[in-house]
Amino acid sequence: MSWTARLVLAAALVGVSGVWPLLAHRESASIVIVTGQEATAPVPTLMEKSQNTLANQDVADQLFLRLADVGPGMVTAGDQGFVPMLARSWTRRDSLTLVFDLDPRARWHDGAPVTSRDVLFTMGRARDPAIAPRLANVTRRIASVEAEGEHRVVFRFREVYAEQFYDATFHTAIVPAHLLERLPPNAKAWTEFAARPVGSGPYHWVRRQQGEFIELAANEDFFLGAPAIKRVIVRVAVNADARLNLLLAGEADATENIPPPITNIDRVTESKHLRVVPVPSSNLGYLLFNQRDPAHPGQPHPILADRDVRRALILALDRPLLVRAVLGRYGDVPFGPVSSQLWIHHGAPTPAPQDQSTARRLLAGRGWVDRDQDGVRENRNNAPLAMNLLVTASSQQRQQMALMIQQQLREVGVKLDVIRVEPAVWAERRAAGDFDIDFSAATQDPSPSGLAFSWTCDGPGNAGHYCDRGADSLLFRAMASPTADRGLWHQFLRRVEEAAPAAFLYGQVYVFGVNRRFPEVIIRPVSSWGSLWRWPAPRS
Amino acid sequence: MTRWLVRRTVQAAVTFAIAVVLMFVLMRLAPGDPLSRLQESRPMSPQEMAHLRALYQLDQPIHRQFAKFVRGVFTADLGTSIEHGLPVTTLIASRLPATLLLGGAAILLNFTLGLWLGVRQAVRRGSHVDRALTVLSLAGYATPSFWLGLVLAWLVGIRLGWLPVAGMRDPLLPPDAPWPARMVDVAAHLVLPALTLSIVTIAGTMRYQRNALLEVLRLPFIGTARAKGLPERAVVWRHAWRNALFPVITLFGLWLPLLVTGSVFVEMVFAWPGLGSLAASAASSRDYPLVMGAALLAAGLVVTASLLTDLAYALLDPRVRYS
Repeated sequence: MSWTARLVLAAALVGVSGVWPLLAHRESASIVIVTGQEATAPVPTLMEKSQNTLANQDVADQLFLRLADVGPGMVTAGDQGFVPMLARSWTRRDSLTLVFDLDPRARWHDGAPVTSRDVLFTMGRARDPAIAPRLANVTRRIASVEAEGEHRVVFRFREVYAEQFYDATFHTAIVPAHLLERLPPNAKAWTEFAARPVGSGPYHWVRRQQGEFIELAANEDFFLGAPAIKRVIVRVAVNADARLNLLLAGEADATENIPPPITNIDRVTESKHLRVVPVPSSNLGYLLFNQRDPAHPGQPHPILADRDVRRALILALDRPLLVRAVLGRYGDVPFGPVSSQLWIHHGAPTPAPQDQSTARRLLAGRGWVDRDQDGVRENRNNAPLAMNLLVTASSQQRQQMALMIQQQLREVGVKLDVIRVEPAVWAERRAAGDFDIDFSAATQDPSPSGLAFSWTCDGPGNAGHYCDRGADSLLFRAMASPTADRGLWHQFLRRVEEAAPAAFLYGQVYVFGVNRRFPEVIIRPVSSWGSLWRWPAPRS
Repeated sequence: MTRWLVRRTVQAAVTFAIAVVLMFVLMRLAPGDPLSRLQESRPMSPQEMAHLRALYQLDQPIHRQFAKFVRGVFTADLGTSIEHGLPVTTLIASRLPATLLLGGAAILLNFTLGLWLGVRQAVRRGSHVDRALTVLSLAGYATPSFWLGLVLAWLVGIRLGWLPVAGMRDPLLPPDAPWPARMVDVAAHLVLPALTLSIVTIAGTMRYQRNALLEVLRLPFIGTARAKGLPERAVVWRHAWRNALFPVITLFGLWLPLLVTGSVFVEMVFAWPGLGSLAASAASSRDYPLVMGAALLAAGLVVTASLLTDLAYALLDPRVRYS
């Protein structure tokens, strides 16, 4: 036998011996989820600053449990719309005091019981601005957390409001005090724990292949029931095409939010082994009007400070068409700054339809007329009705929509220059108010209280400088209401729509791609893969 | 020779220092900073931003930041990545093997197949084979790597199902699987990215080799070899090819940094966990410490490769030592 033939034979033998297990191991009840970002520190109270990412949250949701979860109705007000997790029950002593009884069956992955000491330790970290500034801010209305025995914790609040329960349970899951309380509180000291976290959730940590994937295994002793899917791989592919290829090739079983363009959803639908699962998301897209002059931030914007002009711009847009063209069936036009995930979305009024004749009339009424017949309106000083629209290059959807918006506004005599910039530049310019109109998108918390951040006079995220004290008053009353009263919230939304600080374009429905071997798929908007442990076993 | 070597080493060190300073300054001058990216989907309050700016020392004057960076270079502490929250050295070390593997495989393909094809072209100059290979190699050279990668992934990975479409290993393969299985697994994942990278770079090697060999084949000693009755195979490979390798060394020096820098697009399209894609996403998010760590490595390699090429020239051609 020649040397070459021997080499080929040897290679073939090595290949066969190697490939067989490659095929064999696919039989197990596993799921490979492909995501665009790596979870680098999936540990509650560590997910601050740059670690406050969905990737970290998604993995943390498999490893750690909250006291209770937001229920299927996504109602964050009151104490009723929640599902027990580490806390098996709760009672209210008075309007300022909530008592949680922990489930005595709950165990950490190392076998130690979950106790009130863990809750106190976690909440102590969460409420410390030096450790977790973001968490400390959102839990600022919790006055104290105390233990009454091994399995009872008492939360006291500074004021009466509807989302006390939500604040006590949603913002952070519980971490093990017995492993962590001796460590210094800074993130550096926790590196070892973050590299191999120990939680109390349905899955436990197995390994991480840096830059490639994280492997989790079912916690067979999980007190709420052992998961039917025994192995979870969270695989990273930053590039959207690579994610889609992995899914189409069957090398990944699931992905969240199939990347644009919309034809990619058709590719998944046409694939025999895949199906699409639409899930309402917390993602809201809108055109934010800057009411201050970008060149002189102390002065009102020469065009957009005028409410009638802003309203005309909104009326000139065919928002349902924009949504259909870019998102297909997977989006709707919101009323006010409210994504479809928020409970106050239900029953909200219908957004105003396109009305270009009214838009033209409003513009003409404010002195914007096409005096030189060049298709662009001018004011009495011959200044053109021209503005820039800032768009981030990271969003294909927003860029696509921006071009359609440019065309629709041109029809009523408005000149719009679309400026496409890198994400870092976009965020910097937005924060500095260096734009006329910004194509913004926000990922909203399930609680409508987050609206105060961007849509109140003193809101720290109020980049467009919208200010209506009346609307502020309505919002704060709605937030303080002890009941889940949609009426007050809808009054606030109407007031915002009347002031037209932005053109609210779309509330997105995320489209997940999932392998058909999973007979039943449960995906909750608040945590994409948080219910994985409830999924039935996949077909082999 | 020693004086020449010392002079070249000093030149290389100065070039390296200038490159690093330029990269540091240009990165700071570029619009956008590491923290602004964090606000893309979750806006932060000005107070929170100020806190983070102080935490990452972005509120310090640029000369202080540079001084800290230089200290870090000499103490092997390049800081912590803002995006990943891990030490830059750890991140680079974790990504380096994948990049070396991909770059090494691409260079190997490039300098085996590329040289062989270049020789075939030179030997059959003007033939259909020569013309066809010229057209094919130039087509490959002109093809954008990300497009070619996507086409190969679709055709070979999705339609035919022959090879994995992305990643470096199958995550479902147990970590304690026998080594042949793990080796075959990595090799299978390597084929498409290495092939893509090779196709778009092989044209240069082929053209260099073809032209160099054509030059040598015209020289009198080749005529002498033929006149002595040596078989054509021996004339080409033993006599002509060895002498035609000299210019290819330059090309090898140019390709050597590919070992580390890899190809950003190829790594992205195939989700290859290398340094190229890591550095690209760091640059996009203005993750200064990570960008500078990667740039330091890349600049070091380019300068070292250039120095090694000169050294190889000097060893092979005595005239270079005195120039």
